[in-house]
Amino acid sequence: MRCAGVAEDERAWIDGLRRGEPAAFDAVFAAYRRRLYGYLVRMTRRRDVAEDLLQDSFLRLAQHARRLAPDTRLGAWLFTVAHRRVISWSRAQAVRSQLAGDFPARDAQADDRSPLSALVDSQAQLALERAFAELAPPYREVALLVGVEGLQPAEVAEILGLKPDAIRQRLARARAQLAAALGEHAPAAWRTA
Amino acid sequence: MTDQDDAGRLTEISRELPALDLDATTAEQIARRARDQVGRGPSPLRFIEPAIAVLLVTGYLIWSVLKAVEALGG
Repeated sequence: MRCAGVAEDERAWIDGLRRGEPAAFDAVFAAYRRRLYGYLVRMTRRRDVAEDLLQDSFLRLAQHARRLAPDTRLGAWLFTVAHRRVISWSRAQAVRSQLAGDFPARDAQADDRSPLSALVDSQAQLALERAFAELAPPYREVALLVGVEGLQPAEVAEILGLKPDAIRQRLARARAQLAAALGEHAPAAWRTA
Repeated sequence: MTDQDDAGRLTEISRELPALDLDATTAEQIARRARDQVGRGPSPLRFIEPAIAVLLVTGYLIWSVLKAVEALGG
């Protein structure tokens, strides 16, 4: 995850991390913790798991600090680590549910309705949160990284290790599924598209 | 519709999503644990498990070869 156009702040943080300075780590943690946590909560739909994966991701950054390239893009680097943690967790979950005798998985959406509901203050927000939760994980992930995190599709392709065409396809499907799930709550432009 | 259109529309609607955050205590705990590791590199303890596995497998292979030699020779 390297690029010539790294922002000045990030360059200073990376220099600090490469020198092993805790203050640089604190700055990166403050800048990225909410973004990573939001992504992890919405991907795992569990706050406890999201906290564990957030910790793993930042531990990885701390341990890797001295080996960061000077032109590392921290956002892309951190989201790549977080994405890999989500994949590992999802695989472990799948194995666990098979070992449990192939019982239907718990209704994760219902599980998390309360914590998410507690944060939303309108029906439209709740509908939107649920619409994201109902997206299949590959589409949800692309929608979150592009829509919420503002990453470029090319950058998301790099993070997920996919071809740009695959991202394009997932983006279009995510948008279409969101529009269908939102129904009357979808923006007018979406309904006509 | 191009991927930029899709991205733009997703960005537009995602602005309505509520921001999620950790509580301050949990955030501080996570930050403290990770901060202590800055620049230290991964723990050497991670080599212990594979080293034990390698020792066990190697020991078993040596024992198998010795048994085979013993059986053939005896």
